[in-house]
Amino acid sequence: MKSNFLLPRNFKIIGLILFIPFLILGIMNRYYDLRFSFLKVNTQETAFLHDKNTNFTDEIVLTGLIVSLLMIAFARLKDEDEYIHFLRLESWQWAVIVNFILLLAAIWIFYGESFFDVMVYNMLTIPLLFIIRLHYLLFRSKKAENKKFAL
Amino acid sequence: MKNSVKVQRAISNITQGDLAEKIGVSRQTINAIETNKYVPSTVLALKIARLFEKPVEEIFQLEDQD
Repeated sequence: MKSNFLLPRNFKIIGLILFIPFLILGIMNRYYDLRFSFLKVNTQETAFLHDKNTNFTDEIVLTGLIVSLLMIAFARLKDEDEYIHFLRLESWQWAVIVNFILLLAAIWIFYGESFFDVMVYNMLTIPLLFIIRLHYLLFRSKKAENKKFAL
Repeated sequence: MKNSVKVQRAISNITQGDLAEKIGVSRQTINAIETNKYVPSTVLALKIARLFEKPVEEIFQLEDQD
């Protein structure tokens, strides 16, 4: 069956290669105040940019993280057929539900500055949960199939 | 919905892998159908029926709760 919205297979590797450095950069940026000076831009004050010296390190990092996660999530798998399509849809649904359960819990557990961290992570949890769930389901179905073969 | 894919496969003496290859899906898909974890699309059901040269109803049947 033809599934829509999928990228070529090698996007999974490209996504993974991009994700790791961006993740490290993201942690450095958030917790160790890493900002590249060449990304400092003197901008005109607009409705969106109140600060005249905006540093775009965090913008670049977040864009990289989101794009790389979407690449991994939407890359075609080796034997992409209607069953995998079904597992994909189920995994997205699972990811959305779990995401909001976690978010609801976090709303009542974290306050103030630490809730800002929750919001930052929450931007990435849906694709992340989807990838984990899909690969777990694939692993489980592969295992079930191999067990049958052994019998 | 229940199905007799496994039985039909035994009659025709072909493996899950052979069947998967012939109708263009993965082995996991055939395994998921046989273990009732996945209900195939109409297209796939028709392809399986055509391969075994049987009417669809002989391979896929409704159950009481359907």
